[in-house]
Amino acid sequence: MSQIITLDQLKKTLAEKQAQGVDIIAPVLRGELAFFQHVDDLEKAALTPRVRFQNSIKEFFFPRHETIFSFVRQGSDVQLTDAPEFERQQIVVGARPCDAASLPILDPLFAWDYQDRFFQQRRANTTVVSFACKETDGHCFCTAVGGAPDGTAGADAILFELGDGSFEVRCLTDKGKALFAGKTSESDKTGAACEPPKIDFEIKPIADWIRNNFSSPVWEEVSLRCVGCGACAFVCPTCHCFDIVDEGSYSKGKRVKNWDSCQTALFTLHASGHNPRGTQGKRQRQRMMHKFVIYPDKFDFNLCTGCGACSRSCGVMFGVRPCLEALAQAASSSEN
Amino acid sequence: MENQIKNAIRKLLEEKTVDVAIGYGRVGVDGAVGAIFVTKPEDVERLVWNSNCRQNLAVHLTRPEVKALGKPAIIVKPCDARAVVTLCNEAQIARENVYVVGVVCEGIVQADAAGNPTEKLYDKCLSCLAHAAQNVDLLVGDQAKAKELDETNAPNAKNVGNQAKLAKLREMSQPERFAYWKDQFSKCIRCHACRQNCPLCYCNRCVADKNRPTRIDSSSSPKGNFAWNILRAFHLAGRCVGCGACAAACPAGIELDLLNLTLANAAEEQFGYVSGRELGQAPLIGSYAMTDKEDFIR
Repeated sequence: MSQIITLDQLKKTLAEKQAQGVDIIAPVLRGELAFFQHVDDLEKAALTPRVRFQNSIKEFFFPRHETIFSFVRQGSDVQLTDAPEFERQQIVVGARPCDAASLPILDPLFAWDYQDRFFQQRRANTTVVSFACKETDGHCFCTAVGGAPDGTAGADAILFELGDGSFEVRCLTDKGKALFAGKTSESDKTGAACEPPKIDFEIKPIADWIRNNFSSPVWEEVSLRCVGCGACAFVCPTCHCFDIVDEGSYSKGKRVKNWDSCQTALFTLHASGHNPRGTQGKRQRQRMMHKFVIYPDKFDFNLCTGCGACSRSCGVMFGVRPCLEALAQAASSSEN
Repeated sequence: MENQIKNAIRKLLEEKTVDVAIGYGRVGVDGAVGAIFVTKPEDVERLVWNSNCRQNLAVHLTRPEVKALGKPAIIVKPCDARAVVTLCNEAQIARENVYVVGVVCEGIVQADAAGNPTEKLYDKCLSCLAHAAQNVDLLVGDQAKAKELDETNAPNAKNVGNQAKLAKLREMSQPERFAYWKDQFSKCIRCHACRQNCPLCYCNRCVADKNRPTRIDSSSSPKGNFAWNILRAFHLAGRCVGCGACAAACPAGIELDLLNLTLANAAEEQFGYVSGRELGQAPLIGSYAMTDKEDFIR
């Protein structure tokens, strides 16, 4: 027997939590585009699986902009006030399995040499409910990096849309069980995700090629059309680089963390004017090295869930999958 | 037309008139069309032309990695051709150092959420009055067709597409309009795809990247987002050619082209100035005339 919940009951369950002070984060349509955002009214939530969201759920764990501390200066005296602890509870509902999968990938990073309370507290206080995929597109490649349209990594519960206004609920953790306890009913219906995406490359040989071809001219060739913005990194569920800047005035302000991207020229520009990654090829190499060599070496995860958000959002039709495919070609021609 | 482009580029490369051709080719997934850089005559078969060629390739003319390849030929749509002209007028490139192959463009189609082409034309195309690229070294395509499309669009150009959207915004009260832009800018993640995909955002160091001191908060906060998007629009006043590359590249779908159109309309209404229309035209903000409206000029 399976457990099912109707869409109405799901909304009611979330509304009850909301009434208890829990923040609900769900997809909302703004024009034709779907964004994950805080919802005040569950009726505004677009609770159905979809391939494309304009943002990742990452920003509810690692916000685009976050205060670390604030300062007030009076004469020679400086008062520092730490940012408050994150004490709210939140539920993210409707995440793609590949978006939720980024969370366990990021966990070791934010609990490595520095215990990042900003990420850790949000992670501890959040329940993630994902929706199994109903379709894939040409940008998807989750199965190449160990995921699946019904992948459960990072989720506390996964819901399968049954097409009759209800979902099959599979609880995966205590948090998931707590959310749905007493809210589901027994059924003999079971849900299924769509077929996995079609992929004609493997990560392993490409990662080996990346490791051994640091100085290859291929990097500049494949990156020639990249214009060096941060869209790929900012929509990516796993990219996590940030910049630290002070904002405000001389006498009063705050120190903040803002998302940053290795694809911009400014990222590695030294005060001397020298830039160790002075061309787009070097910057793209860094991105692919970090995702498929450096991060797996250190944390045993590829820093990529194959969600395809980067290439869907790229103004010049680039992104991880197109890059991997170009590198796969380079790797196979260097073998021959 | 695709064959005409291929033949023209093959000849330019064979005769070594240019070192590289910046054109459209199949890149990315599902047959997506984007920039390719052809340096060998035998590779011209990779070039394509269709209604999905939405990128403005002029953005690549000022990229150092592309400049390093030598003298370029570039395939331009009519709006992209205006960007090349403005780049010349602003002394960013010398006209004789680029070979411009213009096309007759019947309109570019919008992409869906997955990036695949739809049947729907871009808003900017609905009000287009120049379907044949101007100020080019070579024009390919059916000029009679271009003229016909110009004439079809002419009566309604100010009432459709982006102009219609803008008119609707202008009808709003000031607080309503402010609320509209506040909502739009709240989606901004400060990835700067608008800037990086804009052929006219070529500053070596953008004011948004200055941090000694910081001029604009790099934060994706209401203050930072307003400052960035408004400042960028102002810096493009009298310069934007309306190619729509910024809005097309924005991952959050912000209607940046409407901001720019407001200022382009102002430039045309107040000064009769259209960016990129004529080679040799002095930049609007960088010049003055005794006939200018404000008295302080005289």
